[in-house]
Amino acid sequence: MPQTIYVSPRSVGAHDTRPPAVVTTDLARLFAGSPALAGVSLNVAAGRTIALLGPNGAGKTTLMRIVATAIRPSYGTAMVDGMDLARHADLVRERVAYLSHATGLYDDLTARENLAFAATLLATPDRGARVERALGDIGLLDRAGDRVRDFSAGMRKRLALGRILLGSASLVLLDEPLAALDDDGMGLVEQLLAAWHDAGVTVLIASHATERLEPFLDGRIVLERGVVAETSGEGVSSIPPSLAAPPRPAVAAR
Amino acid sequence: MTGLRREASLALAIARKDALAELRGRSAAVSTLFFAAVVLLLFGFALGPDTQRLADAAPGLLWLALVFAGVLAVDRLHLLETDDGALEQLALYPITRRAIYAGKAIGGFVVMLVLGVVVLGAVGILFAVDVAAALLPLLVTVVLGAVGIAAVGTFYAGVTVRLRAREVMLPLLMLPVLAPLLLGAVKATSAALAGDPFGELGAWLQLLVAFDVIMVVAGAATYGYLLED
Repeated sequence: MPQTIYVSPRSVGAHDTRPPAVVTTDLARLFAGSPALAGVSLNVAAGRTIALLGPNGAGKTTLMRIVATAIRPSYGTAMVDGMDLARHADLVRERVAYLSHATGLYDDLTARENLAFAATLLATPDRGARVERALGDIGLLDRAGDRVRDFSAGMRKRLALGRILLGSASLVLLDEPLAALDDDGMGLVEQLLAAWHDAGVTVLIASHATERLEPFLDGRIVLERGVVAETSGEGVSSIPPSLAAPPRPAVAAR
Repeated sequence: MTGLRREASLALAIARKDALAELRGRSAAVSTLFFAAVVLLLFGFALGPDTQRLADAAPGLLWLALVFAGVLAVDRLHLLETDDGALEQLALYPITRRAIYAGKAIGGFVVMLVLGVVVLGAVGILFAVDVAAALLPLLVTVVLGAVGIAAVGTFYAGVTVRLRAREVMLPLLMLPVLAPLLLGAVKATSAALAGDPFGELGAWLQLLVAFDVIMVVAGAATYGYLLED
């Protein structure tokens, strides 16, 4: 596995003047009437690596899926790089890469074909070379011609990580990135986090176990039962709903 | 690259990916063909050994077999997207929903075209119909029918792909909408096989063209909503 991984740079210099990478205001999502998120207001600064912590059912995956535009919020708003998800979903998708629990790979295609397909849809320049480089970066060059159907869960996760390397996302969302990975695979995630940090890419990591990733983290968000229980570190703050929401009239107009 | 050319190239990439996956899982394509053949044979048995009766019924049997096999084919193309969250990933790429619909529909069209040509040949052999005498109008009818089935099927396969009762719901939703296509295609095939004695072939083909245009436009405009949760 190479020592340096190529990541498209997003940083604009030492004094980052970019808008916050993620701003959510009173974000809520109901599933069959039950709230998975119940009013989350957050502000994540650009270029930071932030852990999203919390027990099962806290709303980590739901929050990530909303920010990735995979699902719509029931209430509230979310912005990525200053763009409203509801109004500019197409533009947001150009800026966000999402590694979910499911890898989104095609079983009957080879590893190379899966990445080549992704590169086409991501409009990756110099497609062939970038695919080969990504395969090398994730340590799957020798299995590039094998069908994904025969891959282990860890290899599939590596390949899904390789797909992220083909785009030029300014925000990377990783949902349990260490799950199913062996020690080498976890090392790959660490290398990627370092590369993204150097390139000014914002990374949100949802995980139960972040001990191994601790040296790479700038801040932490703790979710509990669909609300923000705590934020700590740099680059992240929870905006009180009273400040984040637009002013409402105290008395209904007559 | 202009927007429309980029969309066309993305649609072709999606269709190519579907074709590749479908060819690798060859059993599905072969079983769809066998299904169409079995439908033809069963209808043939139901009508009895009267060759004139079979020849008269051939256009209807051809299109019933194609429509039933088409339900399986478009369902199969969307099932490819259920591999480990592939449909959600496809929706997260920065591409228009129109390009995704077009890609899936092109894949469906190619499958239906191959099915149509094979089943047309099988009808000629099984029901002693002279397909060669009216080959061009029959092929035009098959092409227009394939476009319509793919356009409708792609949309409804998108509706049902995440449902538990997918296998039941897809034909329930798709078949009533295909009724005008079935009518036009059967009438056009009958007219073509009879040498178009009343000059009605053109009118039925126009009906098919209108059906195709409406369904493609409606499908492309609304498919994106199916990808949202």
